[in-house]
Amino acid sequence: MLEFDLIKYQSQQLLFHFQGAIKLEGICTVFGDSGAGKTSLIRAFAGLDNSFSGLLNFKQCQWQSKTSFIKTEKRRIGMVFQEPRLFPHLDALGNLQLACKKASKSLYTINELAELLDFSSLLGKKSHQLSGGQKQRIAIARAILTDPQLLIMDEPLSSLDQHSRKLLLPFIKNVSKSIPIIYITHSMPEVFYLSQQMILIEQGRVEAIGEPQTLFLNPKLSLAKHAHSGLLLNVDSLTWDKDYSLLHGLVDNQEVLLTVDTQPSETSLQIKVESKDVIIAAQRLSGSSLQNCLQVSIEQIEPLSAGSVLLTLSTGKQKLLAKITLKSLTELDLQLKQTVFAYIKAVSILGECL
Amino acid sequence: MLDALDYSAIFLTFKLAGLTTLILLILSPPLAWWLARSKRFYRPFVEALVALPLVLPPTVLGFYLLLSFSPDSLFGGLWMSLTGGTLAFSFSGLLIASIIYSLPFVVQPLQSAFVNLDKDYLEVASTLGFNSTETFYRVVFPMVLPSFIIAGALGFAHTIGEFGVVLMIGGNIPGETQVISIALFDHVETLQYEQAHVLSFTLLAFSMTLLMFIYGVLQKRQKRLTNA
Repeated sequence: MLEFDLIKYQSQQLLFHFQGAIKLEGICTVFGDSGAGKTSLIRAFAGLDNSFSGLLNFKQCQWQSKTSFIKTEKRRIGMVFQEPRLFPHLDALGNLQLACKKASKSLYTINELAELLDFSSLLGKKSHQLSGGQKQRIAIARAILTDPQLLIMDEPLSSLDQHSRKLLLPFIKNVSKSIPIIYITHSMPEVFYLSQQMILIEQGRVEAIGEPQTLFLNPKLSLAKHAHSGLLLNVDSLTWDKDYSLLHGLVDNQEVLLTVDTQPSETSLQIKVESKDVIIAAQRLSGSSLQNCLQVSIEQIEPLSAGSVLLTLSTGKQKLLAKITLKSLTELDLQLKQTVFAYIKAVSILGECL
Repeated sequence: MLDALDYSAIFLTFKLAGLTTLILLILSPPLAWWLARSKRFYRPFVEALVALPLVLPPTVLGFYLLLSFSPDSLFGGLWMSLTGGTLAFSFSGLLIASIIYSLPFVVQPLQSAFVNLDKDYLEVASTLGFNSTETFYRVVFPMVLPSFIIAGALGFAHTIGEFGVVLMIGGNIPGETQVISIALFDHVETLQYEQAHVLSFTLLAFSMTLLMFIYGVLQKRQKRLTNA
C-alpha cells in the first residue's frame, strides 16, 4: 500500500490536500484536468517537493512524517518526467550506464531494453541528435535500470509519435507485472488500457480512487463530463474475416463486427463508442445497414440538457452510454431495467495504438 | 636579450599563477554553488565581497593586505606564531594576496554555469539514487567542465597580470616576489627597452591566445552542453 495525507500551503492558502491510499500492484493511473495537481502529487510521492507536509507511507516504510523526510535518492523511485531530461553531456549509452551505478540488479539489461524499445542503433547518439520519441524511450529505459521499487511516470507518451506509443504501451503494461507503476495521463484510452486503479484529482484534492470504469460512470464525480462523450468497451475473442475485411469479436458474449484494413495481432482490443452514435430500439430492426446491435438493459436515465437525456446501458459486465432526445424517451416509453436494443453507428478502435 | 633574473621572474610568475589557480579551483566551486543557489538574505553581501577585487584599485587591496600581514595584526601575528616568518614581502604573502585578488575571476564563471544548470537534471540525478556529493561529481562537474577550464584559465591569466597588489605587499625581491610585471617595470625604468619588449610581447601573446581559446572554444562548448 501507498498511503498518503499530504498538504501544501502557499502564502497561508491551502493549495493542495492529497489524501488516500492505493494498492501497489500493476498500474495506478492519475487522471484529472490540467492544473488540478497531478504532477504536484507525484512530485510529493517522489520527495522532489519538500514543501509538502504530512504523512507518506510506502509499504512498511515511512517516507515522510512530521519528524522525518526520506530524500528522493533513498526512496528508490524510477521517474519518467514529461520531458525526457537526458543528460546532454552524455550519449544514450552513457545516460543508461549512469542509471546502473546505484542499482544492484535490474529487471532488464541495457541490451535487452535497447532491443525491446528499439533503440539499439541510437546508443552512441547524444540527446540533441535524437527525436522526442527516441529520447523518451531511452528515458523510460533509464528509469527502469535504476531497479526501482516504484516507477512514476508523468504523461510519458503525451507528445510521442505513433511508433513510440505502439512500442511503449504494451511494454509499460508488461513492466507493471514486476514493478508497481503510478502513471499520469490525460488520455482516457490510456487509463482503460493500462490500469485497474485510478486516482482522480480535482482542484488540488483527491476526488476519488477506484476502478476506472466505476469512476467514469459515477455521475457525482467531475469525470461525468468526459464520460458524456462515450465509454470504452473491451472486445475479446477476435476472429478475422478476410473476405469482408471484418473483425468479429465479443462484448460480454454478444457479437460485434469491426471494419479494419489488416488483421490485428492482438486477440482483444478496446473500442470507444460515442454516446451520440448509439441508437435505441425497442425491437430488433430489420432491413437496415446497421451491423452492430447489443441487447442491453437500461440502468440509469439522466437528464442532460433541455431536450436530451443520457441513458446508461449495461451489457452485463460492461456499460455504454446513449444520448437520445427527450422526445424519443417519451415516445418509446423507456423505463429503468427495461431490455432494449442498442445499435451502434460508429466505433473507434483503440487496442492497437491508443 | 633576457637575463637570468628575467627567467627567474617568468618562472616565479607561472609558479604563483599555477598555485593560485589550483587553490582557487578547490575553494571556488562550493562558494560559487552557494552563491548560485542560496536564498539567504546575506548572499548579496558575500557576493559583493567576492566581486570587490574587480572594482577596487589593486593598491587599496594591497594596502589592507599589508596591514593585515603585519605581525602586530591578528592575522599576521597568528601567521608569525605558526610559521615564524612574516607574510609581507614573501612568496606565501603573494600567494594569499593573489588568491583574494583573482577570486572573482574563478568564482564568477562557475557561478553563472551553476545558475544556468537546469534544476531538472539535479532532480533526475536524485531519482537515479545519487546524493549531493555523487550528483556533483557524476553530473554537475562533467556538465560544466568547460566552465571549470574557463574559470581556471581566467584565474591563471589574471594572476599573471597582477601588478599593483604585488608592488604593495611583495616588493621586488628576485626569486621571491619579483614577477614578470614588476621585472618589466624595472626594465622600463632603467631604459632597457629591448627586454621590456620581449616580456611585454610574451605576456600579450599569451593572454590573447588564452582569451581566444576561452571565447572561441570553451564558451561555445559549454553552451552546447547545457542548452542541448
